[in-house]
Amino acid sequence: MKKKKITALMTAVVMTASILTGCGAGSGESAPAAENTPADKAPAAQDSVKEESGEEAAPAGETQPITIWYYWETEGHQVALDQIIQEYNGSQNQYEVTAKYVPFADFKKQLSIGASADELPDIAILDSPDHASYVEMGIFEDLTGKFDVSNYYEGTVNSCTVDGKLYGVPFGANCLALYYNEDMLTAAGCSVPTTWDELKETAKALTTDSVTGLALCSVQNEEGTFNFVPWLWSTGATSYDINNENGIRALTFIQDLINEGVMSKECINWTQGDVMNQFISGNVAMMENGPWQIPTMQAEAPDLNWKVTLIPKDAEYASVLGGENYAVINGGNVDGALDFLTYATSEEKVKFMMDKFGYISADKTIAESQFAADSPYQPFVEELNYAMPRGPLAEWPSVSDAISLAFNQVITGTATPENAAAEAQATIDGIVK
Amino acid sequence: MAKLKKFFRYENVGLLFVLPAFLYMLVFVGYPIIRNIILSFQDVNAGNLVRGTKNFILFDNYMELFQDSVFTNSLWNTLRYTVLCLVFQFVIGFLLALFFSQRFSLAKPVRGILLVPWMIPVTVTALMFKLLFATDIGVINFILRSMHLINKNIEWLTTPGTAMFALICANVWIGIPFNMILISTGLTTIPKELYESASIDGAGKVQTFFKITLPLLKPTIESVLILGFIYTFKVYDLVYVMTSGGPVNSTHMLSTYSYKLSFEMFKYSKGSAVANVLLVILLVVGVFYIKVTTDGEDA
Amino acid sequence: MDEEKRLSRKKNILFGIISAVLLCILLFPLYWALITSLKTEQEIFQNPPTFYPHVLNTKSYAAQVETGDFNMFRSFANSFLISVGATVIAVLLAVPASYGIAKYHFKARKVMLLSFLVTQMLPVSVLLTPMFIMFKNMHVYNTWVAAVLADATIGIPFSVLILKNYFASIPKDLEEAAYLDGCNKFGAFVRILIPIAKPGVMVCAIFSFLYAWGDLAYGMTFILDQEKRPITAGIFNFMGQYGTKWSYLTAFAVVTIIPVALIFIFMQKYIVSGMTSGAVKG
Repeated sequence: MKKKKITALMTAVVMTASILTGCGAGSGESAPAAENTPADKAPAAQDSVKEESGEEAAPAGETQPITIWYYWETEGHQVALDQIIQEYNGSQNQYEVTAKYVPFADFKKQLSIGASADELPDIAILDSPDHASYVEMGIFEDLTGKFDVSNYYEGTVNSCTVDGKLYGVPFGANCLALYYNEDMLTAAGCSVPTTWDELKETAKALTTDSVTGLALCSVQNEEGTFNFVPWLWSTGATSYDINNENGIRALTFIQDLINEGVMSKECINWTQGDVMNQFISGNVAMMENGPWQIPTMQAEAPDLNWKVTLIPKDAEYASVLGGENYAVINGGNVDGALDFLTYATSEEKVKFMMDKFGYISADKTIAESQFAADSPYQPFVEELNYAMPRGPLAEWPSVSDAISLAFNQVITGTATPENAAAEAQATIDGIVK
Repeated sequence: MAKLKKFFRYENVGLLFVLPAFLYMLVFVGYPIIRNIILSFQDVNAGNLVRGTKNFILFDNYMELFQDSVFTNSLWNTLRYTVLCLVFQFVIGFLLALFFSQRFSLAKPVRGILLVPWMIPVTVTALMFKLLFATDIGVINFILRSMHLINKNIEWLTTPGTAMFALICANVWIGIPFNMILISTGLTTIPKELYESASIDGAGKVQTFFKITLPLLKPTIESVLILGFIYTFKVYDLVYVMTSGGPVNSTHMLSTYSYKLSFEMFKYSKGSAVANVLLVILLVVGVFYIKVTTDGEDA
Repeated sequence: MDEEKRLSRKKNILFGIISAVLLCILLFPLYWALITSLKTEQEIFQNPPTFYPHVLNTKSYAAQVETGDFNMFRSFANSFLISVGATVIAVLLAVPASYGIAKYHFKARKVMLLSFLVTQMLPVSVLLTPMFIMFKNMHVYNTWVAAVLADATIGIPFSVLILKNYFASIPKDLEEAAYLDGCNKFGAFVRILIPIAKPGVMVCAIFSFLYAWGDLAYGMTFILDQEKRPITAGIFNFMGQYGTKWSYLTAFAVVTIIPVALIFIFMQKYIVSGMTSGAVKG
């Protein structure tokens, strides 16, 4: 009896082992791979050994690792950040900074998961409208009094301030403005639009069989909201107060652009980068976009004749503030993070990175002398005076969702501006009270 | 009595065969499932994810969900999408499997090549279909226009109804090889002698199909359908990349809405609750499957 | 005799034509990806679209090799390692499990079968956080081991469900014949049943491999170092905030398919024969 039991048990145990050999034909494909992989891995391993021994060769004792998470996928951005990091690592031996790329689409997820698992970097460079949510999560260090932000644009500082305390340092600023294809404008005999009515007329004149007059990223997420709020705010409406004459006027204006065929419905599937691609391909005559596109546009369409102007206004000029903030994680190596940030926010380093990024410095004094008067970036510096931040509000993602939904509804014609505004207001009221 | 004991010992050997795989899944997926159920009964958001008390609010998340039109639409979308995808990919996959089970020289290589859609990461497939279905530059509109089937470009991905259609097309395209290969391999388990004796008995092709192929293929068909149902029902990448649930939330699925709530809006508990609704529906389908497939065989 | 042969040749040609047509229809999206990858961005945005690249552009392929931190060859090796690892785990665990479920009617059988199904029923998004915590505690976070372990959870239940049908379809007398030859249960399983179920095992291995190969969520979430990430992570270099670069993206698709396709073509003999010729001979 007992013997049988043991045999049965043995069978099960041995089975697992001998399948390794017994199933040779089936796993044949994996066998060579398993042999190959150590060889494949070897160079990488050697590299890292080299790097480590290089660090150890440095005169100082222990170097402490500092990790940064960022989401820029553009190679130029990655290289610029890396250069600052390398310079910093070379300038002292106490800390060793490494930057890890987390894709934009995954960034919030990775921070959320990391917060749950207590596995976060020491510094995060994150999208400014999300800042308040993570402050509420309690993962950011209070930096009040540690950085002089008195010269920074108010909006950028506000985006990382909660209850009067500073929880981050603005990395750089950007905002949206109107790009126009100068050749098309000249050919159609139009002047540069400054008001909504002029914009609509100009867009109409520019629209042909193969060209639509205007494009703006209208995807239903934060990126879309970013592109919608300048129109909303231009009427005098706020992000929290949409169901009124002003809010409805903004929605109606966008809907008219679609209905009159001067803006493509496809915009709801176009990211800002896609809009830019359409613009440089000559399919779109005017677009709402940010300054970070300029390096790409200059590289990919050097012959395209374009200019930038303020977003045409309804009641007042308005734009939206974008850009990233540095934040220090409170469970990490705070001293090291502060040391690096002090280095990276010095005027010289900021100037270097802003140029490479196509950003405008969040520091007003730097920004004002950052560009030559005829630089394509200069209109953005002017526009920045009218730019307001989104939030800051811990529940901003929900408010943003309501706003982008309302605009998407009027663009796709699934709701009237009045209904869309009312629905958005109901959602927002449920959040902000 | 001794016989009974022996019976149990014999059957227990089977348990031992299953146990390693079972324990593996228990460790890696069992814990997440339990954690997710607990999370869905709490009120976790950005404010108390890391610190602060997580209160148990029991079914409040679920109650709120059923008042939320985006959720109810997602539920309906998911069901509609799953059933339509399953029908098309199964029927087409089945027909292809039957076709390629014929003996002709190109059968094997072509069947092998048809597996290629399965080798592409879903995110890439989704982007490819986004390009195919684009309004102005999309080739599908161009082809339809050239054939004079339409005279104005269809705005596939920006109109609620057609966006769903585009998603289904993409999923069916991925699903056809899946169904075809599994059914093809299922066909190989049917002894050829059965067909031979059937033809000797003078049975026609249709008769053979319904009398031999279908009944013997039943377990494979059941497995393919249940797996197809589960995988289609929790579709995520494809929808996220092609439409992100738009336009105006018209193609949100339970999984994409769960993701949006959890990781874009910081409503972790609500996101978990949506995932659990998905789980419960699949559980019902799963129990039904087990009942159908194991009924009577213990006799 | 002659007549029959001619008939089958006719059939051969007819079926060959039909399958060629099917191939064209089903693989059209792939053709489109291929030619898009060879067009310039301007041509891609041309309306009406062009059916072959008028200006050949191979820049998009050069960009695949290395972009920033991303190195294609290294990510290939990573993906391959992860997929093979996940396949081995899935096959090793699923083959005996499916045999147990198919051939032994123990009490917990239905529960086991259901629980394998249940593990597939949650969307990946809600699995990420708890798995992440587990891998961190196991000290495998940010290594390919984490991705292997996670990817195997897709392959195992799938393989169990598919393989159990194979084992069930094997006649009892074959097994009994093995016992008569002096095999014990285990010997019968390894020497008789696994070879017969080879097509099933093969298909499960292929699918487990491809599930792991196509995985993005696990690889991205559990591996943070770009140099350890799978090939699918490369997709982020060509889409996102700064616009979808169709030529790069489609080149990426082509490049990810080629090695897998090569493996399949190279091993076609084994795979196809494994998939179709292992039928029960009685």
